[in-house]
Amino acid sequence: MLACRQVSKSYRTERGIVTAVAGIDLDVAAGRFAAIIGRSGSGKSTLMAMIGGLSRPSGGTVTIDGTDLWRLSDNALSEFRNGKIGYVFQFASLLPTLRLIDNVALPAMLGRRHGASGSYARAAGLLERMGLGGYLDAYPSEISAGEQRRVAIARALINDPALLLADEPTSDLDEQTESEIMDVLLTINREVGTTLILVTHNLALAEKAQQVVHIANGALVA
Amino acid sequence: MRLLANLALQNLGRRKARSFLLIAAVAIGSGVVFTGATLMRSIDDSMAVGFTRLGADMMVVPEGALTNITAALLTVEPTDLVLDADVLARASIASLGRIAPQKIVRVGHSGIGGHHDLVDLIGIDPARDFTIQPWLKEKLNRELRAGDVILGAGRDVPLGSQLLIFGKPHLVYGKLGRTGVGTHERGVFMSFATLEALTGSMPQHGDVRPAALSPGKVTGFLVELAPGATALQARFAILSAVKGAKVVTGDSSLSGIRQGLAALLQGILALMILMFASMAVMVSVLFSAIVTERRGELGLLKAIGARRAQLVGMMVIEAVIATGVGGVLGVALGVLVMRLYERSLVYYLDNIGVPFIWLDLPQTVAYAAAAIVLASAIGALGALYPAWRASRRDAYELVRGES
Ligand SMILES: Nc1ncnc2c1ncn2[C@@H]1O[C@H](COP(=O)(O)OP(=O)(O)O)[C@@H](O)[C@H]1O
Ligand SMILES: [Mg+2]
Repeated sequence: MLACRQVSKSYRTERGIVTAVAGIDLDVAAGRFAAIIGRSGSGKSTLMAMIGGLSRPSGGTVTIDGTDLWRLSDNALSEFRNGKIGYVFQFASLLPTLRLIDNVALPAMLGRRHGASGSYARAAGLLERMGLGGYLDAYPSEISAGEQRRVAIARALINDPALLLADEPTSDLDEQTESEIMDVLLTINREVGTTLILVTHNLALAEKAQQVVHIANGALVA
Repeated sequence: MRLLANLALQNLGRRKARSFLLIAAVAIGSGVVFTGATLMRSIDDSMAVGFTRLGADMMVVPEGALTNITAALLTVEPTDLVLDADVLARASIASLGRIAPQKIVRVGHSGIGGHHDLVDLIGIDPARDFTIQPWLKEKLNRELRAGDVILGAGRDVPLGSQLLIFGKPHLVYGKLGRTGVGTHERGVFMSFATLEALTGSMPQHGDVRPAALSPGKVTGFLVELAPGATALQARFAILSAVKGAKVVTGDSSLSGIRQGLAALLQGILALMILMFASMAVMVSVLFSAIVTERRGELGLLKAIGARRAQLVGMMVIEAVIATGVGGVLGVALGVLVMRLYERSLVYYLDNIGVPFIWLDLPQTVAYAAAAIVLASAIGALGALYPAWRASRRDAYELVRGES
C-alpha cells in the first residue's frame, strides 16, 4: 500500500545543505504495523512527513495505494491527506479554541463526506471509544496530556484513513499512559485493519511490529 | 465553513487586547474618513448652494455708494445715488452674463417690525433677478404680481397673510430660505412696480423722496460674468461704458473663502487617504505577525486536509470581522461627533457666509456603507498576502515552526 522510492529531503540552512533523508526505499503492505526506529536526528520525522503528504521530498516518490502523492495538485493532496491519512503528532496538536468534539469532527467537516450531523455523530462515537464520552463539550486545556493524545487519535481516525501515521505519539507521556495509548493504536491496527506506521524509541514496542525500519543518518540500516 | 468561521471568531477572542486595539484603530480611521467625507460633501454642497444661488460675480453701483461685501453676497447699502435702469443693457457688454437691477430703500415707521426698525424695501425685476428668487423656500402657487412681497427668512409672517406697509395692504407671496446674509434675512422684496406704488404712502421729509423710487432709476446691479470672461475684462468694459459707476467685485473675499475651504477640504482628503493607507499597512503588518504566530495551527489545519483557500479564507474572515466591526464603530463614532459639533460647525459656517446644509440621508447612509466596506476590504487585503504566503508552505514546515 505504501511504496517509497529513493525518497530524499535536504534542507538549506545557514551552515549549508543538511540532508535529513538520503534516498530511502520502503514498502509497507496494507494492514501491517511497521515501526520506525533510529536515533534522534536520524530523519524519522522528515520521512514520516513526506509519507504523510506534509513535506515535499527533494527527490524520489511516495506512492500510497497507487497514487503518486507528490504529483497531485495542492488541492488534490489536501483531499488525499484528509481522506486517506490519519496523522498523530509528536506534540499536543488540538486547536485550543475548539471543543473536543469540534476538534475531532473538523477533518470530517473539511472533507464534507458525512454532512455536519453525520460528522458529529461519528466524532462522538470515536470519543466514546477513546473513553472520553463524558468530555465532548470540554476544551483541550481541561483534560490531561494522555487524554489529549487520545482525542488526536480520534481525530486521525474520523475519516477512516487507510494509513495511520504516528510520530513518537507518546514521547512526552508517562509509561502507564504510553502503554494505554499504544494499546489503542494497536487495537485499531488489528481490529479495523488500518495500516500503522509508528515512530518510537521504545524497542519493546517495536518488537511487536511486523516490520521494523531502522534509520541512521537519513538512510536505512540493514 | 462554519467551523472555520468559528475558529476565526474565537481567535479574535483569544487575544482580546490585540483585537481591541485593532478594532479601535480601524474605528478611528474609518470614523475620520466617514466624518471627513460626509462633512466635505456637505460643505461642498453648501458652498455650491451659497455661491451659485446667490451667485453674483460683481456689483455695479453709483460712484460714492457705500457697499457691503459679505462673504456670500454683495449687497449695496441703501443710498440716494442712482443709476439709469437700462445703462448696462444699453452698453451691451459682451463679458457680462445676467444682470439683475435692484432698487433699495431703507425706511422707518413702515409698519413692519418694531416702531423704530429700519426696513430695507428691495425692488427687483422678477424677470431678470437671479439672486433672490432662487432662495425662495416657500411661495404661493402662482406668479409674483403687483402687491406681493417676498420676505427674508428672518421675518416671521406666514405665507399668504396680509402685511401692511405704510398702511397699504400687501400679500406675503413667498419666503426665502436662510442665506446667512443680513439684507436677505431681514429684507422685504417686491417688484419695481409694487415698490414704486408705495411712493405716495411714504412720509416725506420735506420734498425729498428716495431717488431709487423714481421709475427708470435703480440703486445698482448684481451682475454675473459671461462664461469665460474675467472680472478684469468686465470691469474695464463697464467703467468705460458707464459714466459715474463703480464696480465692486467680491473676488478677493469670495475666492479667499473658497480657497480656504478648498484647502481645508483637500487637507481632509489627504488626511483620509493617509489614514486609509496607514490603516492598510498596519493591518497587513499585524496580520503578518498573527499569521506567524498561528503558523502551527495553520500547518495543523493543512495536515488534516484544509485546502489553501480555506486557510486563507479563515484568516481573511478573521481580519474582515475585526476591521468590519471597527468600521461600524467608526461610523457610529463619526455620527456622534458630528451630532456633538453640529451646532458650532453650523454657526461657524453661517458666520463666514456659508449656510450649512447636511448631506441628505441616503447619501450619508451610502457614505457610511462605503466606509464600512472599505474598512473590511482593508482587513481582507491586509490579511490576504501573509495568509497566502503561509498557506503555500509545507504543512510540516508550518507545524515545526521553522522559517
Ligand atoms: N526544517 C528544517 N531545517 C533544517 N534542518 C532540519 C529541518 N527539519 C529537520 N532538519 C534536520 O534534519 C535532520 C533530521 O531531522 P528529523 O527528521 O526531525 O529527525 P528525527 O525525527 O529522527 O529526530 C536533523 O539533523 C534535523 O536537524
Ligand atoms: Mg522526530
